[in-house]
Amino acid sequence: MLTFIGLGLYDEESITVDGRAALEDADRAIAEFYTSHLVGATVAELSASHGIDIEVRDRAGVEQDPEDVLAAAENDHVAFLTAGDTMISTTHVDLRLRAIDRGIDTRVIHGVTAQTAASGLTGLQNYRFGKSVTLPFPDARGGDAVPGSVVESIEANRERGLHTLVYLDINASRDEYMTADVAAGLLTEGWTDTLGVAVARAGGPEPVVAADTLSALAAREFGDPLHLLVIPGDLHHIESDALSALGGAPADALAARER
Amino acid sequence: MEDPEQIRNIAIAAHVDHGKTTLTDNLLAGAGMIADEGEATRLMMDTEEDEQERGITIDAANVSMTHEYEEDNHLINLIDTPGHVDFGGDVTRAMRAVDGALVVVDAVEGAMPQTETVVRQALREGVKPALFINKVDRLISELQEGPQEMQQRLMDVIGDVNELIRGMTENRDDIDDWTVSVEDGTVAFGSALYKWGVSAPSMQRTGIGFPEIIEMERNDKRMELHEQTPLSDVVLDMVAEHFPNPLAAQPRRIPRVWRGEADSDLARQMEGVDDDGEVVFMVTDISMDPHAGEIATGRLFSGTIKQGQELYVSGTVGKNRVQSVGIFMGGEREELDRGVPAGNIAAVTGLRDAIAGSTVSSVEMTPFESIEHISEPVITKSVEAQSMDDLPKLIETLQQVAKEDPTIRVEINEDTGEHLISGQGELHLEVITQRIQKNQGIPVQTGEPIVVFRESAQSNSREVEGVSPNRHNKFYITVEPLSNDIVDAIKRGEVSMDMPELERREALQDAGMGKDTSQEVEHIHGTNILIDDTKGIQHLNETMELVIEGLEEALDDGPLANEPVQGSLLRLHDAKLHEDTIHRGPAQVIPAVRDAVHRALIDADIKLLEPIQDVRIDVPSAHMGSASGEIQGRRGRVDDMFQEGDLMVIEGIAPVEEMIGFSSDIRSATEGRASWNTENAGFRVLSDNLQREKIMGIRERKGMKLELPASVDQF
Ligand SMILES: Nc1nc2c(ncn2[C@@H]2O[C@H](COP(=O)(O)OP(=O)(O)OP(=O)(O)O)[C@@H](O)[C@H]2O)c(=O)[nH]1
Ligand SMILES: [Mg+2]
Repeated sequence: MLTFIGLGLYDEESITVDGRAALEDADRAIAEFYTSHLVGATVAELSASHGIDIEVRDRAGVEQDPEDVLAAAENDHVAFLTAGDTMISTTHVDLRLRAIDRGIDTRVIHGVTAQTAASGLTGLQNYRFGKSVTLPFPDARGGDAVPGSVVESIEANRERGLHTLVYLDINASRDEYMTADVAAGLLTEGWTDTLGVAVARAGGPEPVVAADTLSALAAREFGDPLHLLVIPGDLHHIESDALSALGGAPADALAARER
Repeated sequence: MEDPEQIRNIAIAAHVDHGKTTLTDNLLAGAGMIADEGEATRLMMDTEEDEQERGITIDAANVSMTHEYEEDNHLINLIDTPGHVDFGGDVTRAMRAVDGALVVVDAVEGAMPQTETVVRQALREGVKPALFINKVDRLISELQEGPQEMQQRLMDVIGDVNELIRGMTENRDDIDDWTVSVEDGTVAFGSALYKWGVSAPSMQRTGIGFPEIIEMERNDKRMELHEQTPLSDVVLDMVAEHFPNPLAAQPRRIPRVWRGEADSDLARQMEGVDDDGEVVFMVTDISMDPHAGEIATGRLFSGTIKQGQELYVSGTVGKNRVQSVGIFMGGEREELDRGVPAGNIAAVTGLRDAIAGSTVSSVEMTPFESIEHISEPVITKSVEAQSMDDLPKLIETLQQVAKEDPTIRVEINEDTGEHLISGQGELHLEVITQRIQKNQGIPVQTGEPIVVFRESAQSNSREVEGVSPNRHNKFYITVEPLSNDIVDAIKRGEVSMDMPELERREALQDAGMGKDTSQEVEHIHGTNILIDDTKGIQHLNETMELVIEGLEEALDDGPLANEPVQGSLLRLHDAKLHEDTIHRGPAQVIPAVRDAVHRALIDADIKLLEPIQDVRIDVPSAHMGSASGEIQGRRGRVDDMFQEGDLMVIEGIAPVEEMIGFSSDIRSATEGRASWNTENAGFRVLSDNLQREKIMGIRERKGMKLELPASVDQF
């Protein structure tokens, strides 16, 4: 049995009750934190809290050699954990398909994900988001600082009046997290006066939401990770109200995007 | 120096030991640049200690002299090049700096393998040849030849050289007839050792011809002969009269070595040797001076290069500031505050980013064609510092070595401290390691020389699918062998990613590549080409860099023994990519492509190739059998045996690996009576029965797994 469990956004408390029950039932727990990360709890704290030893795998350990995960799941109940949800931004559907191929029963227990927070904390409506993108660290790939496909996706969304959720790169092995001000700085290249919304520590006790032009956001600081950024498209009047009430958006920055 | 019409830039080039340096000394002495030391040759230009010990030239040497001819004072910038094959890279580079090549041939030995090579190097660069037949004294005094015999022999040499020139210029429309002849005055004869010379014009002038020369040589009146018909006058007159000045040469040479816009101010300035134009300087040599530091020597095609200028260096960002400029006077570098004008060979300090082959200029420009030395490194030695303390210094020295000599490849391994130097031959590596020890004072330990192998596809593969670790990205790749013509065109630098696309297409089509294929070239790595056969795949352009990275990794370390792959045409037929950049990043794409390329290569029956050499042995007929046995016993092949004078000539090929240690074996097999030459002749597929054994040997040496993928079934 292989159960995919989303740990939610922040710490050991962010998991669902259903997820906690499944984790308690598991014989082994395996986690990956290379695409996201729980900022409010260490692995040791997680293990202690859930009463199970959590083994952390790097990317190669999950993608290249999933063999022993699958072998273990053939006889035992294995829980596979990620921050957020296991199937949203880093889709572990491949692992699930491999398991099904081998006749292993699988189950998905959802977690709260950045996608939820992006709507929930900003007031931007879920219905009005377009394609999401990840903004990688500039040095991760040489070439241009912002990949063409990121620019294209944001442009395409904006043309259709849709919001873009921008996930920010993390480098797990070096413990580096791109912050929203850095991301806004990278994007000012094309969209200086464009409205952006920075969200910091979603799911934590004191999340921060800040709406302003990208160049203004680039000059601010939002504290500890994790951060994400939203580039709003056209704004519905309620969305507009929410950004000013929840994110302190200046009126002139909003006016430009109101339909 | 100021008037281009009065400048001649020339190189002296020849087979090893034919007398280039002795001649150079002679010209310098004749022009009053160094003291005339009487008969004893000192080989002034072989300044390095190791050169003097070994009696050969290792580094090309720059000298300049003035010579009065027809009332005008001429500045002659001359490069004395090495003759030993291992240092052939110096000859290739010198040819870029000059407009004329004085080909020296030993009258006794005649045209030899390296004669052919240097003539080819000159003509390829559009450098005009003239011929000096040296050591004529030996025909008279040693071989006791009469006038008839002598004439026949000298005519044969001229005929052989002309055959080479004709063969290499037949299809060239920028060169009409560059064959040499006595009547035209493009051939001179003489003795560099005894300092006399003769040519058709000199005979006219001095009244001294062959009968007089034979007479005086026989009667030991060499001093008189030198005084009556001094070699330096004969040769320098020929240089002034028959070699083109920069104004005449640059309009022909620029289009051959520069692919920039032909109809531009810059092109006109270079062709016109415009000293008011932009500075365009091609670095052909980097050397270390104990006082001045690194000196970049090369040809100034346009502008005036001066101290304080900020110049671009091709292939690097930012500018370098010129610290000093100078020219060579005699063998000494002389700094000139007023700068050096176009058309000269200049010596420049301060260009710290420049390497041999860099284009240095006052505007950003298309760089000159890279100076490709045809022969790739074939032999490797490991070098380790004996004391850990020397490690940083050793690394720095190795980097400097690579900068000075592009025919060397240096691999620095900071983890093991065992660095690898690959070069053209045993001597090449020996000289380098010795210089590291002696000149830099770094005690090193060197490994046994080992040869460099290659891997190469032998047939067309089927389409292979490469899957990324997260399985969200897929690449579909095939491999097929490239034709020799295309591989050669890449090696000669006629096809590269640096040139404008249209030109590359044409060059590839000329070499036999199909039109459609030639239009989709995405990348060239070594002698391998990647073709992008995909159509309109979203995000592929953004991913291509990573595809290329994976491809390069796969080709640098081939699937059989981690040796470089050569001569393959890779096609990317299709790709399936994840929507988000993060999920098609380096960790996904590189391994997917690397693995696909390796599997495609295996499917294309990849095999191991070893370097081979052309071998020529000149030996008295009594020793012919044992000499040819030395080739055959080394997995070699004898192709030809013929009589030349009183010697037998044996020609054949043999693997470089087996040729290690050849010199002592042939000596004992022939009682020291054989003289022999080798020249690297590329790579050859190793026979099937040796494949596995050699591959395993290499894998073991490199600490790799001692088993091949099960799909390897081609031998
Ligand atoms: N008899 C005779 N010997 C000569 C003559 N010219 C050169 N030599 C001898 O030939 C040998 C080689 O001369 P170099 O001038 O070093 O020849 P090189 O072509 O510069 O040699 P590398 O640079 O090593 O290729 C020396 O021993 C010279 O003394 C000549 O005209 N007559
Ligand atoms: Mg010499």
